[in-house]
Amino acid sequence: MVAAPPTFPQDPADALAAVGALRRLADRVEDAAVEQALADGWSWTEVAEALGVTRQAVHKKHAPRLRGIRGWKGGR
Amino acid sequence: MFERFTKDARATVRDARREAVSAGADTIEAEHLLLALAGRDEFQALGLDHDRLADALTEEDRRSLASVGVNRDEIEPPPATQARREPRFATSSKLALQRALAAAKKRGDRHLDAGHVLLGVLSAEHGRAARAMRIAEIDVGELREQI
Repeated sequence: MVAAPPTFPQDPADALAAVGALRRLADRVEDAAVEQALADGWSWTEVAEALGVTRQAVHKKHAPRLRGIRGWKGGR
Repeated sequence: MFERFTKDARATVRDARREAVSAGADTIEAEHLLLALAGRDEFQALGLDHDRLADALTEEDRRSLASVGVNRDEIEPPPATQARREPRFATSSKLALQRALAAAKKRGDRHLDAGHVLLGVLSAEHGRAARAMRIAEIDVGELREQI
């Protein structure tokens, strides 16, 4: 299979819209990945280190959403 | 900000909140206002179609990602637990509501109704709502004249 050539939008409106689309997709990937990690027994500290953010930041962002998921016992 | 909103305008804002929640978004964006408005009979009569716009938003995402080399069909994050917190108004929807107020003022209307909200959403030249309307081939100029 031949790889597609590198691509970047010519029109700034398209490039800026791509930023939004990438952010929305990245948020969904983050939500799923953090949930998966916690369910697998990762601590908040480990998740934070993997994401390159502080433990407080990742906890604040995801703990309200994930309080009570199976396999995750709390605020380690 | 909501004191001058009519019952219909308030219902639109409520429906926009519901659109945001069902899309899994933690913010209410201008496109959620647009979808809420497209669900109203009076605007369907003017050619706004909720499902067509919802498809256009999906298509906008797909095209924007493709423009930077990401094939949306090749990634599907597993469903994640949704936030239980109340979605906030994002900059795009705040701007649309400010423009709705300005439109009402300009017309000398004391109350802000759903039509003003639509005018507010239609004023945006950029952003997802505007791009989705272009994909759905909605003539914004013509629509504006009919409100």
